[in-house]
Amino acid sequence: MLTLKIALRTLLRRRSRMIAIGVLVAFGTFLLVFGSTFTRSAREASRSSIIDNFTGDFIVYSADSKEKPSPFAFQTPLPNIRNIEQIKSFLGGLPEVQTIVPYAQNYGLIQVERGGIKVDLPFIFYAIDPSPYRRIFRNASMVQGEFFGVDQGQAAESGVLISRFQNGQYQKNYGVTLQVGEPLILLGLTEGGSVNAVPSRLLGIFEPEYYKNVFNYINYLDITSYSNLYNFTGVSAGSLPSGFSEGLEKALQNEDSLFDLAGNTDFGKIDVSTLKSETLSGYTMIAVKLKSHGQLEKVMAEVAARGDLNIEASRWDEASGFFARIASALQAFIYLATALIFLVVIFIFMNTLIISIIERTSEIGTMRAVGAERRFVRRLFLTETLILNAFFSLAAMVLTLVLLLVLRPGGIPLPEAISQYLIGGGNLPLRLSFLPFIQALAIVIAASAIATLYPIRVATAITPLRAMSDK
Amino acid sequence: MSVVDLVDVKKNYMLGETRVEALRGVSLQIDRGEFLAIAGPSGAGKSTILNMIGCIDTPSEGKVLIDGQEVEELNDTELTRIRRNKIGFIFQSFNLIAVLNVYENIEFPLLLQRSPSKREREQAVRRVIEEVGLADRIYNKPSELSGGQRQRVAIARALVTRPLIVLADEPTANLDSETGHRIVDLMRQINETEKTTFIFSTHDSHIMEHARRVVSIRDGRFTGEELKG
Repeated sequence: MLTLKIALRTLLRRRSRMIAIGVLVAFGTFLLVFGSTFTRSAREASRSSIIDNFTGDFIVYSADSKEKPSPFAFQTPLPNIRNIEQIKSFLGGLPEVQTIVPYAQNYGLIQVERGGIKVDLPFIFYAIDPSPYRRIFRNASMVQGEFFGVDQGQAAESGVLISRFQNGQYQKNYGVTLQVGEPLILLGLTEGGSVNAVPSRLLGIFEPEYYKNVFNYINYLDITSYSNLYNFTGVSAGSLPSGFSEGLEKALQNEDSLFDLAGNTDFGKIDVSTLKSETLSGYTMIAVKLKSHGQLEKVMAEVAARGDLNIEASRWDEASGFFARIASALQAFIYLATALIFLVVIFIFMNTLIISIIERTSEIGTMRAVGAERRFVRRLFLTETLILNAFFSLAAMVLTLVLLLVLRPGGIPLPEAISQYLIGGGNLPLRLSFLPFIQALAIVIAASAIATLYPIRVATAITPLRAMSDK
Repeated sequence: MSVVDLVDVKKNYMLGETRVEALRGVSLQIDRGEFLAIAGPSGAGKSTILNMIGCIDTPSEGKVLIDGQEVEELNDTELTRIRRNKIGFIFQSFNLIAVLNVYENIEFPLLLQRSPSKREREQAVRRVIEEVGLADRIYNKPSELSGGQRQRVAIARALVTRPLIVLADEPTANLDSETGHRIVDLMRQINETEKTTFIFSTHDSHIMEHARRVVSIRDGRFTGEELKG
């Protein structure tokens, strides 16, 4: 009680100096709590919009791939996932998995006729199975037409969806505006080097709801059209005579073996009616959505353990790359700024305390002379520091909490350009947590303790002689 | 029985590159209840002797015994305990704690002792406040008091723990002569009624008049001793 009384009154006596320090502490606390809440919320919002709209919790891709999948970037298409049914069966059988959504990322040309002239329009697209994709990812908000007709629960139509932005770009760069329902020719360059042409139709125009700066450039194509466009359809090997199948297998290893097929006795005896067509997947990625995000590491470990499936898995944040890291980078920046502020606070506080100790040399010497031990002096200065910092820190916390509660219902409005990069778009929904408050308090206490270390050494070194020599 | 024994005490210290011999072998015995003045000009070594007796400085050579206990080998905490429990200090510049009021300043050494209960503390504080005549100033801060009143508070603070010895380092130096006389009279009165040992360093003739023993010091050596009545 004695130290508390002296500490409190000393602070009040030197209030103008102490208020200046307190305001710095309060600002540091505000920055820490608000900044931490902001960045935590941004990270959560970013994670949620990426996982719920683009990647799922992780993406499975072919182990033959030299690059990691990146649905947020225009990269060379990844190798196809060959044994898709087996993989789908494996993933679907995992109890932690909510659903899986296979898709492919590629690019091609849309050919339309305007005034008797054919115009080729480049387009980047996701090839999807519309129903399962739409059930999980609802990033496309339809402006015209329908999302492959699946929103009414009907079977998916074949065709193309383009973004409104993309259509605007076509007008700007090619003088062409596509109309919903318009017939199109899709052109694709196959692995074999030939150009395939598949008739299709523009089913709708959409507006991406999140990460428009990326997804304005990405369009949709149904997986059936995609398989036709890139020759991912063929004859099931199982329906071919065994000798012919073996011959084809050999030919895969050695092109010259292809000529051996001419001597194959089965060749020419194939009953075409017995052949079965098979659609190869064409899928390059499988987005896996879990029932609980907390199971991510466990499920990824299970996927990694299945070497026989020739697949690998990439976390949502790896797959979204730069975008998932923005919030983390912002958080690091906030922490750095706060650390700098507290460093300044510690430095100023230390100096102020030392000045205060020098001014109070006689008082400290007197206390020591009349019987105060060194630990009493230590406790006194520590108490002064803690009271000052805790008071201003708590005041800042209360104000920050009020501000957060006021902002919480509508979220924090952000400029659209920032919002798009940070959280995919829209207001930032605030997620309140006690953690930033506890962190701030711990940091303030730690900073107070650090700031008093040296001054306390100076204060406890003052001997009672200083009281006697004060004449 | 003597409460203070100085046996051939020497104190040297460095002042820049100069070695200063503040005490050059002084011996002194002080008995309980004495009212003793150590007199001498500035720099003679008066304050150094008080510092030795007050356990706030240690001798370079010789022995210092307080209430029979040698103090040279004691550590800081043990010396602090002796000061807290056996010695009261009155300083030339009063040295009150600015943020505490009269009552709290006087109570301060009792709070450091921790042992007395709140009620005992209150009784002890009120007793000394009455003795020094400051009952009407109990809640005033030091800045609201005159020099004489501040010194009375300092006397009360020195006496509140009923110490064995009260050390007063030129207690009237910062007071006008009339106030100084009153303060000396007060201490003399307490000495007579409470049998508290008072040791002054002074060159105030009024204190020397009232002292029962005056020890003179010059250049770190005792030069004479005068016993009165």
